[in-house]
Amino acid sequence: MANTRSTRRSFLKATAAGAAVAGFPLPLRAQPKTFKIGVIHTVTGPLAEPGQACRVGAQMAADAINAAGGIKAKGGMKLELLLGDTQTKADVARAEAERVVNQGAQFLMGPFNSGDAAAMVPVAQQRRVPFLIDIAAADPITANVAKAVREGQQKVQYVYRNFPTGSSFGRRAVQYFTEIFKEAGVSPKRVVLMHANDLFGSSQARGFRAAWEAAKPSWEIVEVIPWPEPPSDLSTEVSRAKAAKPDIIAPITRPASAQLLLPEIRKQRIEMLGIVGPGSPGLYEAGQLAALKQDLEYVLTSVPWPNFKHPRTKTLAEEYLKRTGGKTFDTNSGYSYDGMFVIADILERAAKLDDPDAIVDAMKKTNYTGGLMQYGGPIVFNELGDNPNAIPTMIQILGQKPVAVWPREAALQKFVFPRPKV
Amino acid sequence: MAQGGGPPEVRVPSAEGLGLDLTLVGQGLLSGLLFGGVYSLMAVGLTLIFGVMRVVNFAHGDMMVWGMYLAFLLATRAGVDPYLGFLICAAALFVLGLAVQRGLVDRIVDAPHEMQILLMLGVALVLENLALVAFGPEPTRVRSPLAAATVWLGPLFVDVARLVTFVVALALTGLLWLFLHRTETGRLIRASADNTYGALVIGADVRRVYAVAFGVGAACVGAAGALVSPILPFQPPTGLSLSITSFNIVIIGGMGSLLGAFVGGLLVSVAESLGAVFLKPSLKELFSFSLLILILLFRPAGLFGGRRR
Repeated sequence: MANTRSTRRSFLKATAAGAAVAGFPLPLRAQPKTFKIGVIHTVTGPLAEPGQACRVGAQMAADAINAAGGIKAKGGMKLELLLGDTQTKADVARAEAERVVNQGAQFLMGPFNSGDAAAMVPVAQQRRVPFLIDIAAADPITANVAKAVREGQQKVQYVYRNFPTGSSFGRRAVQYFTEIFKEAGVSPKRVVLMHANDLFGSSQARGFRAAWEAAKPSWEIVEVIPWPEPPSDLSTEVSRAKAAKPDIIAPITRPASAQLLLPEIRKQRIEMLGIVGPGSPGLYEAGQLAALKQDLEYVLTSVPWPNFKHPRTKTLAEEYLKRTGGKTFDTNSGYSYDGMFVIADILERAAKLDDPDAIVDAMKKTNYTGGLMQYGGPIVFNELGDNPNAIPTMIQILGQKPVAVWPREAALQKFVFPRPKV
Repeated sequence: MAQGGGPPEVRVPSAEGLGLDLTLVGQGLLSGLLFGGVYSLMAVGLTLIFGVMRVVNFAHGDMMVWGMYLAFLLATRAGVDPYLGFLICAAALFVLGLAVQRGLVDRIVDAPHEMQILLMLGVALVLENLALVAFGPEPTRVRSPLAAATVWLGPLFVDVARLVTFVVALALTGLLWLFLHRTETGRLIRASADNTYGALVIGADVRRVYAVAFGVGAACVGAAGALVSPILPFQPPTGLSLSITSFNIVIIGGMGSLLGAFVGGLLVSVAESLGAVFLKPSLKELFSFSLLILILLFRPAGLFGGRRR
């Protein structure tokens, strides 16, 4: 618990520091006006751990931007974060978005959970506040807005996303699965997909199945086993998976369900080549590793991951470690960090900042190459408002640490697959 | 473990078709039954409190989460295995229950139900958020060597942790029954539950009886929390779903009925487990809540309701 405790303390410290930064500069003389950004994440509730990581990532980025002179093209304007907490509840997410907009937020960023993101979208559209989704994968969040604009029900799309979508997760996962099987010289046939049935889990599962149907690889999804999230017991689900004689179990988890699923897979002694996730939280975070230990060893999962070959990522990861009291800089902190820099880049280029449509114009023309996550190209937004270059990386837990192992250009180590016999 | 490189199709042929399904059904029954012990124990605590005071303890699940965190502290700080530590957790929760009853519930025992509900929801919120402050938001679980062990009965596997939990839950429920039927305090508790006025007339200290009953109810759920902590990962918001499951069980079994709570716990757990076998697992809760609706429609007092304990 010592770990968690110091973590929490550091988190509070970081929050307090952020609040201090946000709260103090205003009354001082001759300060340029600040630009208020509503930063709303799942800071409490079942998804609190990743949500807190997102908040710290966003704060570190804003601090770095302000320390480097703010938005230079706008007279060194500083960023001011209005922090919000969705409590991992959609209704609260919406209320928080309303609150920060009422307090003067001219930009929204957040929120980690797809369900919460979907609830914040109407606020952004109705109040005409540009909204950059830093994390949330469900396809419909942006696609629905794009459709409404295309069909003329709404004029402007204010919602954009710099994160892989469920369908792009699916395509990459199918691609990586196939490539890794080939590289390892094995030919698994039977894949059992097990997934949480919340908006995120269902969207991820749908994306994976659709991509599999389109790609027609040599392996088959022989059974799909969804569970209610959060589950209280997964033993029967795992028995069902076992009865399907899997070569691979492909889990789409949340932190709590991963802690049920993996020990259950071990206990029921399923003989297979390995556990390969199409992309979800729960399989690589520091807290999960502490709780699951060996059950996570050799687990592969396709997740958005920091590009540790970038020289700045390493120093940033060290800073993050210090600021959080021992946490790893990963998917969540990383995408929120990048998100804040993308917003700064948009503000630099926007013709004026008091007109949301001018900001949206700049957003659409984004072509940002400074991202620290593993991208397939510069950060751009397509006709749906999504960044097609936001791609996942296959990581594996090796020696109790998550390591990028695929695709080759991102790999820091060679994967171990099939997993060794216990 | 299938070999890399080789065709993974080579497997020991197991029973096919119907046989395979039977294994799965048997496994579902077994896992559900064993897990049901925990459900039973938490529902027994809730039904005791309701039976005696007519107060629905909405903080029940959050008390259970505190039992889990206490087991976690004992295991990580003092190296006490949760299968022993549950006794300490039960004692600690007994004190907490006593304090909550004396400090808060005692003031609203005669108040309308909505006021009681508001108070207990308030207690639930406080307990959940205290856990959030104290332990942080990450889900966690208690590690115990026992929790990793499994025994195989032919094609069926028995999770030793569940087996132990089941046996202990059974024993605790039996002890509680003995306490209620064979001790003076237990008789007074039953007397107060049956007829508060009558209990007062014969000189029972009903306030003390209430406090003890609330404490014992909390102790049950504390023990349940500790026992389940190596099986079920938990985090501060876990309490709500545990409370809901407890209510479901108690209503199915019959509000205030000890036997009803015990049987109801097993029933709900088996129903959910078999639901995961026969339906899409994400619909398994449909089974237990359909059971609830059926009971409410055809036997509103619950399976063992009507005659209170």
